[in-house]
Amino acid sequence: MAKKKDILQGTLDLLVLRTLTGGPLHGYAITAHIARVSSDLLRVEEGSLYPALHRMEQEGWLRSSWGITDKNREARFYELTARGRQQLETERESWARLTDGVGRVLRYA
Amino acid sequence: MSWFRRLVNSGRSARISRDIDREMEFHIAERADELRAAGLSEPQAMLEARRRFGNRGIQKERTRDADIVVWLDSLAADVRYALRALRRSPAFAAVAVASLALGIGANTAIFTLIDALVLRTLPVPHPDELVQVTLGGTDGSGYFTNPLWEQLRDRQTGLAPVAAFGETDFDISEGGAARRVRGAWVSGEYFALFGVQPALGRVLAPADDVRGCPPVAVLSHDFWRASYGGASDVVGRTIPLDGHRFEIVGVAAPGFRGPEVGWEAQVHVPICSKTLLSGEGALDQRSAWWLRVMGRRAPGLGTPQVAARLAAIAPASYAATLPDEWPEEHRRQYLQGEFGAVPAASGMSALRERYGGALTTLMGAVGLVLLIACANVANLLLARGAAREREVAIRLAVGAARPRLVRQLLTESAILALLGAAAGLLVARWGTSGLVALIATEDVPVALDLAIDRTVLGFTAAVAALTATLFGLVPAWRATRVSPQTAMRAGGRGIAEGHRRFTIGRGLVVAQVALSLVLLVGAGLLVGSLRNLRTLDAGFRPDGVLLVRLDMSRVASADAYRGMHRELLERVRAVPGIRSASASDLTPIGRSSRNDVVLVEGFEPSTMEESLAWFNEVSDGYFATMDMRLLAGRDFDASDAPGAPRAAVISESVARRFFRDATPLGRQFRTQVGDGRSDPYTVVGVVEEAKYRNLRETESGTIFLAASQDTTPGPSATLEIRADGDLAALGRDIQSVVAGVHPAITIETRTLARQVASSLRRERMLAVLSALFGGVALLLSMLGLYGVMAYAVARRRNEIGVRIALGADRGRVLRLVLGDAGRVVAAGVVIGVASAMALGTLVRSFLFGVEPTEPAVLALAVALLASVAIVAGLVPAVRAARMDPVAALREE
Repeated sequence: MAKKKDILQGTLDLLVLRTLTGGPLHGYAITAHIARVSSDLLRVEEGSLYPALHRMEQEGWLRSSWGITDKNREARFYELTARGRQQLETERESWARLTDGVGRVLRYA
Repeated sequence: MSWFRRLVNSGRSARISRDIDREMEFHIAERADELRAAGLSEPQAMLEARRRFGNRGIQKERTRDADIVVWLDSLAADVRYALRALRRSPAFAAVAVASLALGIGANTAIFTLIDALVLRTLPVPHPDELVQVTLGGTDGSGYFTNPLWEQLRDRQTGLAPVAAFGETDFDISEGGAARRVRGAWVSGEYFALFGVQPALGRVLAPADDVRGCPPVAVLSHDFWRASYGGASDVVGRTIPLDGHRFEIVGVAAPGFRGPEVGWEAQVHVPICSKTLLSGEGALDQRSAWWLRVMGRRAPGLGTPQVAARLAAIAPASYAATLPDEWPEEHRRQYLQGEFGAVPAASGMSALRERYGGALTTLMGAVGLVLLIACANVANLLLARGAAREREVAIRLAVGAARPRLVRQLLTESAILALLGAAAGLLVARWGTSGLVALIATEDVPVALDLAIDRTVLGFTAAVAALTATLFGLVPAWRATRVSPQTAMRAGGRGIAEGHRRFTIGRGLVVAQVALSLVLLVGAGLLVGSLRNLRTLDAGFRPDGVLLVRLDMSRVASADAYRGMHRELLERVRAVPGIRSASASDLTPIGRSSRNDVVLVEGFEPSTMEESLAWFNEVSDGYFATMDMRLLAGRDFDASDAPGAPRAAVISESVARRFFRDATPLGRQFRTQVGDGRSDPYTVVGVVEEAKYRNLRETESGTIFLAASQDTTPGPSATLEIRADGDLAALGRDIQSVVAGVHPAITIETRTLARQVASSLRRERMLAVLSALFGGVALLLSMLGLYGVMAYAVARRRNEIGVRIALGADRGRVLRLVLGDAGRVVAAGVVIGVASAMALGTLVRSFLFGVEPTEPAVLALAVALLASVAIVAGLVPAVRAARMDPVAALREE
């Protein structure tokens, strides 16, 4: 199960945090959003998403609450906290450094 | 995440679990909507949505693992699960917990004693600074003479404070039955050295210990509570010690029981007051070794530096205290004396020296018992694991993570260990007091702090954790190593199943058999030694002899003692029912002994040792009363009057050693008494060799002198009375006879048989406990054997059924199972005998009259084990042979 890595390890947090900057969303909406925005290039595995969401809530980056969707279903909505925004910045920077570094290697190596 | 939050959450685990369910349910519903919108039918959409979501069990598990509680919560679940599982099989739980309780309890009991006696430091501030001063190296004697102690006290030793103390006992009665209390002579800085505060009044200070001091005493806290009911006005009262009145100046605070572990003084008096009890010269005797010395290292000094300073002052100290009258050779040796320094954070202890080694041996034995118990529980768990194969397989199939299952099974082991440890603590409490009862005597109670403290609890916890790992890990691992498919398919059809699980179970039983054989052999050797010592011909016959110790110190002047001895002896001899009676200074296998250097014309000893013989002063009739055979010459009689030539009766070995003659009647010798040499003694008789100090001694070389010729008779003596019938009743008669002579004479009675038996306390303890542990080990391993065999028979039910159905006769089936058990036992016996022979030397020092590899003991142990093993194997074998093939096969 954990062997299939659709999304680079460690980037899931970044994607989730970025996705939630637009406002509270439930888990399904998060996967849908990521799929849509990335034109289906990125697919979030349910198997990774929920443990990640709960872990990030543990870290204090997210908080969750139960609410009703427009289809009148009960769902758990996740929302960014202040610490979550900080974390987003940190992750964004490290991602930039990573891509920059990988890019350089690909260009010159 | 804060721990606090985790804890709060752990209380809400059920809700969290529900929340995750709801959240996943929602996700699947949304996905299904989407799929429906894409054109799938309702059921197809739902199915596809679930498929895409993957294994919900695992999802949920992983989500929860990321979640909060993870650990705490699943632990609680594991504990609940394990408790439920144990409740379902109470017999298994009971046997497992009982095995562990025995194993852990025995270990804790022995450890408690070792901790109290050997490991614990003295309950004083900075015990690590304490140093004991010895006479030379680490193995030198610890006993000083008073003049030598005074030299040490008044010189620069690098020890401050430094104190001396000597053990004694005082009689606090005023006549009649003696009341002995344990007493200590202590120097002025004794209480300061150990930082002991007064609970009442004051403790002794240096000003109390100066020559010519007034008689004062400090009571121990326990003694004050027990004898004075904790009365606060005790200070200022007096206490009679051997007939002399001492003023009580204070009571010591509780907690500190003195530097001698296992022995606590009840009354402390300054060393200077010894002149009062033992005569004016008592403090100047240069040949009386009775004080031990301890001190505190001065800041910044290590033990080696202290030892160096002590070495520096030794020559001058010895030179200043040289006994004038000693022979030249001994004087030369004396001047070469040394001082040594030994760390004494745990104090010193005769009890430790006597029992330390025995306890270590027992610790090893109970360690083996615990291993056997572990093997037993592991075996039970293995069998249980097999029975639960299907359950485990199903849980693995529905997605339970394997580590999680292992953890669950380990939790069960941990709970067993925990219950075992709790029950074990109870066993230990009971066991420790039993142990102390085995080594204590009525006149020497063992004063040890045996409370179950943190060290002991820590030990028990560590042992429990170790056992849980030992017996739990392999079965748990094995139980989860099933492939779900195989286990589900096999479903109990065991005809051709693999025997690997069996192999482990059998291996464990082989180990159990081997270990119990080692213990049985050890027990055999120790019990055999005790038996040898008990049935040994001591040279005298202890049964039927009453010892009556008399103390006349309050009665009369020294001149009157002799007449009084005589009168008492005659009156006692007139009591009806008495066969013979005598008086003596010392009694065999007693607590006191006396040796002196014997000087014989023409005898040149090669060592100091060789010139020493044991002494006793006895009246006429002593040899008859003790049932000692006179080999030549005569017993003492009326002709041995004070003015007549001084007579002596010697034992065989003395005759051979000093006179090189079996019957040296008429020959003469002198002795070195105190600091001088005696008038000549003439040998008038030779007696058979008889044990003097203990039953193990090889040569007792004893010289008996005539009590009637003692120029300075002491105030105390012992009467030996041989009589038929009840010795206790006789004791009461004697007490009234003695009171008739003088009411202020104090007496103590005990039987000679008891005195001899009490010298075998350590041997008895070892024999009793090793037999006990051997028995427990045998029981446990036979349970193990039975379990494995019963299990094997159950597993091979089909096979045996088929064999019987095909015409195998029942005797053959019986032999099949018994042969199986026999192979296991035989393997264990071979390993066990080899190990026992290798380990036997460890107990050599406790043995008497048996070799560590005594074939008879080995054979006996093997025979015992084999016969019990046959019984353990027979039950399942008979069950197999009686099996109804139809029923066995129908179960398919």
